[in-house]
Amino acid sequence: MDSVVEDNQLGMMKYGIGQPVTRSEDPKLLRGEGNYTDDVNLDGQAYGVMVRSPYAHGTLNGIDTAEASTAPGVIAILTGADLDAAGLGTMKCGLPLKGRDGSPINYVPRPALATDKVRYVGDPVAIVIAETATQARDAAELVELDIDPLPAVTDARAAAEAGAPQLYDSVSGNTAIDFQYGDTAKVDTAFKEASHQTRLNIRNNRIVVSAMEPRSAVGSFDAASEGYTLNVGCQGVFGMMNTLAKQVFNIEPEKMHVVTGNVGGSFGMKAGAYPEYICVLHAAKVLGRPVKWTDDRSGSFLSDCHGRDHDMTAELALDADGKFTALRITGYGNVGAFLTAVSPMMPTMNTLKNANSVYRLPLIEVASKAVFTNTTPVTAYRGAGRPEANYYMERLIETAAREMGIDAIELRRRNQILPSEIPYAAANGMNYDSGDFPTIMQKAVEASDWDGFAARKAESEKRGKLRGRGVGCYLEVTAPVQEEMGGIRFEENGDVTIITGTLDYGQGHWTPFAQVLHQKLGVPFERIRLIQGDSAELIAGGGTGGSKSIMASGAAILEASDIVIDKGKKIAAHVFETAVEDIVFEGGAFQVAGTDRTVTVTELAEQLRGGLDLPEDLPRDLSVKHIFDAAPSAFPNGCHVCELEVDPDTGVVEIDRYNMVNDFGTVVNPLLVEGQAHGGIVQGLGQALMENAVYDSEGQLQTGSYMDYAVPRASDVPSFTFATHAVPATTNPLGAKGCGEAGCAGSLPSIMNALVDALAPLGVKHIDMPATPEKVWAAIQSAKAA
Amino acid sequence: MAKMHITTTINGEPTEFLCEPYETMLDVLRDNLGMTGSKEGCGSGDCGACSVTLDDRLVCSCLMLAAEAEGHEIRTIEGMSEGEALHPLQQKFLETAALQCGICTPGVLVAADALLKKNPNPSETEVRYWLAGNLCRCTGYDKIVRAVLETAADLRGAAE
Repeated sequence: MDSVVEDNQLGMMKYGIGQPVTRSEDPKLLRGEGNYTDDVNLDGQAYGVMVRSPYAHGTLNGIDTAEASTAPGVIAILTGADLDAAGLGTMKCGLPLKGRDGSPINYVPRPALATDKVRYVGDPVAIVIAETATQARDAAELVELDIDPLPAVTDARAAAEAGAPQLYDSVSGNTAIDFQYGDTAKVDTAFKEASHQTRLNIRNNRIVVSAMEPRSAVGSFDAASEGYTLNVGCQGVFGMMNTLAKQVFNIEPEKMHVVTGNVGGSFGMKAGAYPEYICVLHAAKVLGRPVKWTDDRSGSFLSDCHGRDHDMTAELALDADGKFTALRITGYGNVGAFLTAVSPMMPTMNTLKNANSVYRLPLIEVASKAVFTNTTPVTAYRGAGRPEANYYMERLIETAAREMGIDAIELRRRNQILPSEIPYAAANGMNYDSGDFPTIMQKAVEASDWDGFAARKAESEKRGKLRGRGVGCYLEVTAPVQEEMGGIRFEENGDVTIITGTLDYGQGHWTPFAQVLHQKLGVPFERIRLIQGDSAELIAGGGTGGSKSIMASGAAILEASDIVIDKGKKIAAHVFETAVEDIVFEGGAFQVAGTDRTVTVTELAEQLRGGLDLPEDLPRDLSVKHIFDAAPSAFPNGCHVCELEVDPDTGVVEIDRYNMVNDFGTVVNPLLVEGQAHGGIVQGLGQALMENAVYDSEGQLQTGSYMDYAVPRASDVPSFTFATHAVPATTNPLGAKGCGEAGCAGSLPSIMNALVDALAPLGVKHIDMPATPEKVWAAIQSAKAA
Repeated sequence: MAKMHITTTINGEPTEFLCEPYETMLDVLRDNLGMTGSKEGCGSGDCGACSVTLDDRLVCSCLMLAAEAEGHEIRTIEGMSEGEALHPLQQKFLETAALQCGICTPGVLVAADALLKKNPNPSETEVRYWLAGNLCRCTGYDKIVRAVLETAADLRGAAE
């Protein structure tokens, strides 16, 4: 492949790789002209409202729709029996993950509408379709459910115990998978021989994802072509098309057209297929008119997949010098009532992959169960195992340092993998290709005015406040890239369209992807368009998730550009009446080597549109539909330093300063990358200090609105100081590492370590997330009492 | 029940519409008038995505009955820019990438504009507390707050 960063001509650099270019989509979004799914209205559309189980667990004996059917405006009411009669399939989890005995995931199919049992509050049982949304809502309240309630279990640890209520006859002990990695005997020995062991029971609290756009879908069906169309917000239309076509509707994928406009946040939550999408598609076919469904926020709290919810015991073995000799993480992950396509990964494989972080670690064991409970299904949430695994490790280190009387920075230094040790084969099977972890930590420490802390702490004390400081080093393993489309289409009007199967749900893909193409081919930045959200345009698409989009689409665009160049060289050779070997491509132009005869890509595309007289064996245009095969995971890493104050009278935590230095490899657009870090940090701050999904003993979600569930507001958060120290990845053509989830991975440990540091003088050793004022105050009181 | 006939002003334009007595201002903006810039994030006044002004007062249009617009003046995100020229707040948000998914952005902009009209020289704390009614899950608020402060400074500079 040609070098990416070869064009340093000033004219091109303004929009080149590494420039802080503003987002091409923003003028529209800023005017309120975004096209989100609920902004889509189709002629003749009816409105669907879901009927949901009010019980967490129960036998569904019957659904009485008689009264609802006669309510004003009602067109139809569909139940699980109707979907079964139509032969619709179920949603599946096809992960190749294996349990400790080699058995596959104990997977259970998920029907769109429950037929035999209900398994969580919010489990959909019917859809009411009416002429207006209000009529559908009113009628939905008239649907009578005959449910015999059963005892419910909402906690993963409790659900795995003998005698717990069983969600499925086919799943023993509610256990979807009993995962184990590592040499148990060796790890045991390492702990026996260790000079010091540190052990923490850590709660990774359940999160309500709360994308600010509630989920919405519009289904339609064209009888002539027997084709469905789904307008929906998701994280990749190609995957959504295949899931719905192959698993549920049993049709060819091209008969399932999935269209996504703007997406109002997702964070993992909107990635998969949901029951409502199947319902509106099937209803559209039955009724012969489009059907639209938009959730209200109460519905979102129950029906959007939740995140996190693990109970782990984390243990670190150290020798007398403080060198790590083994890490062990054991425990439970709550997957809720059904599996999503990825949910068993987070407490198992993703915890394993990420807990190793930036440290030299001879042995690692992760043994965890993914467990069904009577709660909303859990899926990937910003980081998906990455932030929590880093959190476990960093809390262990900070605790061990305190217990052993070693400075926590020094303890990290003794164990950090050095650049000279890279490539580094980690005990968890990962192979780190690049990174400079000690330098990054040092830079972050310096940026935080480390030496000024003592004076600030003394000043805080004068005001009666407890000041603490915490470090969070992190390393994340991004999702590997598989089969991503790199499409480049030279349009009739002179535009150049990038077509690729990742999907923007707020990251801002258009501009950085265009920067890559602009730098590579020299086509004018302002003429570059992006198509991601139309399944009919795609020949492949891995979607967005796991911080991989710039690696996937960036590489796909580069490889596709190489094909454009190859095609262009052949055509240019013909135009210039010379041999292909004499044509060079430089600065966006084809040139006869050693002459001033050049033609730019744009000019050549225009000549082709005008009609060049070409021999038959030459390509007719420069457009390319390419599939980038694969790239391995990358390892974004960094170090966050948080400094905060605690008011001991109220337990209120206020973050005073926050610094970070990150290695995201090659940064295509620093303006957007900084924003990704900010957003990730605040989602982590929410989990660390505020957010917690709480169920009561009967499985009712007690935090079902923004009055009960605290999402961080502008007044809850600080400003941030952001820096990068880039060591480009060697495993993808851009050298990028991904940045979408890193903010969370750094903020959970840095904030919680800072909080424990503030409370340590009182004797507090650990405090679980979320460290709400109530919890902090209680910890202070009990420490004082002890 | 008969629909109600409402006469109001929206973004400076005299506007009439018919609505049900129970319909919210947000319903009417989005569904009847095709002004989809205001968003429903919660329907309970917690998120601010539906923010509009009613006679220059910042309100959640999801909590306001459409009938209450009778005789009053509503301003929405659609009235913020003049033709192609973005409002200074919009321009600053663009330059600093103070939005990500964009769903909360119209409400944030309407709220920020209302703040600067009331207080042209807000402190960071004042900006943060004023915008505390607008939930954003993507940005972490940093760039939003800075954009509002920088816009305020620019506007003060221009006024001098």
